[in-house]
Amino acid sequence: MPQQKFRISRYDPVQDRAYEEEFDVEVTPGQTVLDALNLIKWEQDGTLSLRMSCRHAICGSCAIKVNGQSKLACQTQVDAAQDRADANGVIAIGPMGAQTVIKDLVVDTTKFMSQFERAQTWLQPPEGQDPPQREYRQSKDSFDHWSHASSCIHCGACYSDCTVAEIDDNFLGPAALAKAYRFVMDDRDSQHDERLEMLSGSGGIWDCTRCYMCVQACPKDVLPMDAIMELRTEAIKSGKTGNHGTRHSKAFAGGVKKRGRLDEATLPVLSAGIRPGAIPELLGYTPGAIRLLRSRKLFAAAKRHGASKEGRREIKRIFEEVEDQKHHDDMDAVAFETLHEEALKAH
Amino acid sequence: MKYAFWPGCVARGAAPELYKSTLAVAKHIGIELDELEAAACTGAGIISDADPYLQDVLNARTLAIAEQKNLPLMDICSTCIGVHSLAREKLENLDYRARINERLAPEGLEYTGTVEPRHLLWIILEDLEEGKLKHLIRKPLEELKLGPFYGCYILRPERVLGFDKHPHRRRSLEAVIELVGATTVTYDGMTKCCGFPILTSNKKNSLTMTGTHLAEATDKGADALVTPCPLCHLNLDAQQADAAKVVDRKLDLPILHIPQLLGLAMGLEPEDLGMNRHVVDTQPLLEKAHIL
Repeated sequence: MPQQKFRISRYDPVQDRAYEEEFDVEVTPGQTVLDALNLIKWEQDGTLSLRMSCRHAICGSCAIKVNGQSKLACQTQVDAAQDRADANGVIAIGPMGAQTVIKDLVVDTTKFMSQFERAQTWLQPPEGQDPPQREYRQSKDSFDHWSHASSCIHCGACYSDCTVAEIDDNFLGPAALAKAYRFVMDDRDSQHDERLEMLSGSGGIWDCTRCYMCVQACPKDVLPMDAIMELRTEAIKSGKTGNHGTRHSKAFAGGVKKRGRLDEATLPVLSAGIRPGAIPELLGYTPGAIRLLRSRKLFAAAKRHGASKEGRREIKRIFEEVEDQKHHDDMDAVAFETLHEEALKAH
Repeated sequence: MKYAFWPGCVARGAAPELYKSTLAVAKHIGIELDELEAAACTGAGIISDADPYLQDVLNARTLAIAEQKNLPLMDICSTCIGVHSLAREKLENLDYRARINERLAPEGLEYTGTVEPRHLLWIILEDLEEGKLKHLIRKPLEELKLGPFYGCYILRPERVLGFDKHPHRRRSLEAVIELVGATTVTYDGMTKCCGFPILTSNKKNSLTMTGTHLAEATDKGADALVTPCPLCHLNLDAQQADAAKVVDRKLDLPILHIPQLLGLAMGLEPEDLGMNRHVVDTQPLLEKAHIL
């Protein structure tokens, strides 16, 4: 049987000591990383701490980092992990990110779990009505649209790899936002607008960097970032537009409609908007602008390169047609349904 | 070899050195570029915040223009390659494709799904013979330790980027650094977000990301970073001084574009690669590489 070397990032809370330790394990084809970790614990070092329960990618207990990426240990075969091993063939194992390590591969999930409470991810039916005799029924169309987001098992893999959660505890994070999306889109829920208002605020949908880490990490194809993007579209459509994100998107599109290309010269000003905080925001750009001026980049941006004349004409026509068509036909929903379908097909 | 060439907006705007160096290197290698003058900005995932269908139409149009020219499509921006690839995935759905093509028909265009957008970084590794490439590297950058900085959309989501067919794309930057004779410095932040997408909405978070990655690469001994994304370049280079303040570190790390790295190793003049158009001075790096 082939030997596989694992390098495990460990932490001893008693001595407050973080260290790495290597273990050789005899692996058979088809064995998972969790199998290998259990072999280490049972046969080599009983002090190795990790979480596990179902071994079927259902309970969400065993999320860890394998070669730097968050994965369920029980769903990741050693063979697959070898593909991304280091130059010496060593598979790196570590605890999840964005959370405090309690011991070895066990992290404190309190912060992650508390985000669901902040995002109020439970059904809130209309108040003042008697509950139905049986269950709250929802339409098939509604369910089909967001059902992928209900597959979340709260394993935390997305939160662990989230590039914002890593540096900002205030960010709700991909899992809680995807769960919030599921209730925003649920036609039994009464808090559609209130939820979108809250989610458009600090720590919400506009703080996402769109790095796709969560989509890549999710073992259940929840497509968290795509849910966050759809929340943005839904929020703008529902009139939650008094925020930087909406101004930025509208100003960006406005520039492209005019010139066919991004207008770097006017975008910061239009994104800041006309409001009390706009002046300090714009002043904050001054040192950067001076540096750009020195390297002559500011002139390059101010030239406002555009598409060719024919190109501009067609691009403007497309903008006008789509703006007009939106009144008759909700193509945004079709765009997201297509995304869900094609993305899930790919897996 | 001839390509339909989409430079993206930033290379024609605040990163003119990327455009200039791309043309210089393409000419040197013998690649002919047919620039898509009529094409639109990809929308960068920002137009789609308000209107995903509109963004998909704009990108289908760009892909359709390349198809009409019957040329392979070359991008030089991680964001562009990501948005093009994501649009292409959705356009696999024939009903949706038909709804998109309705907007292209008045112009005599139709997207048929034959074109595959690829980044210059991949094209260098996939279309050029290894022997020819090695022959072109006349000034190997053996003195330099370089950190890769990918930019999100050339790595994720993997399902749209052809990683199953081309697994080497996961480590394409390391491969190019090796190709030019330099040493790769790896670090955690190299596959993370540069912070640029939230620069104007959450400056503190944005610059914390930028500063953390730059500090980590510096600590690991990198002389410079190399990126296939001009948007990452804007944060890593132009915002470096502000990022240094946010993470309370002294930072002085030049950031190179892919064609600049290739051009230097091929012996092209630094000025022809726009090396003088950076915010962080590249002169000490060029001296270390014995180019100046």
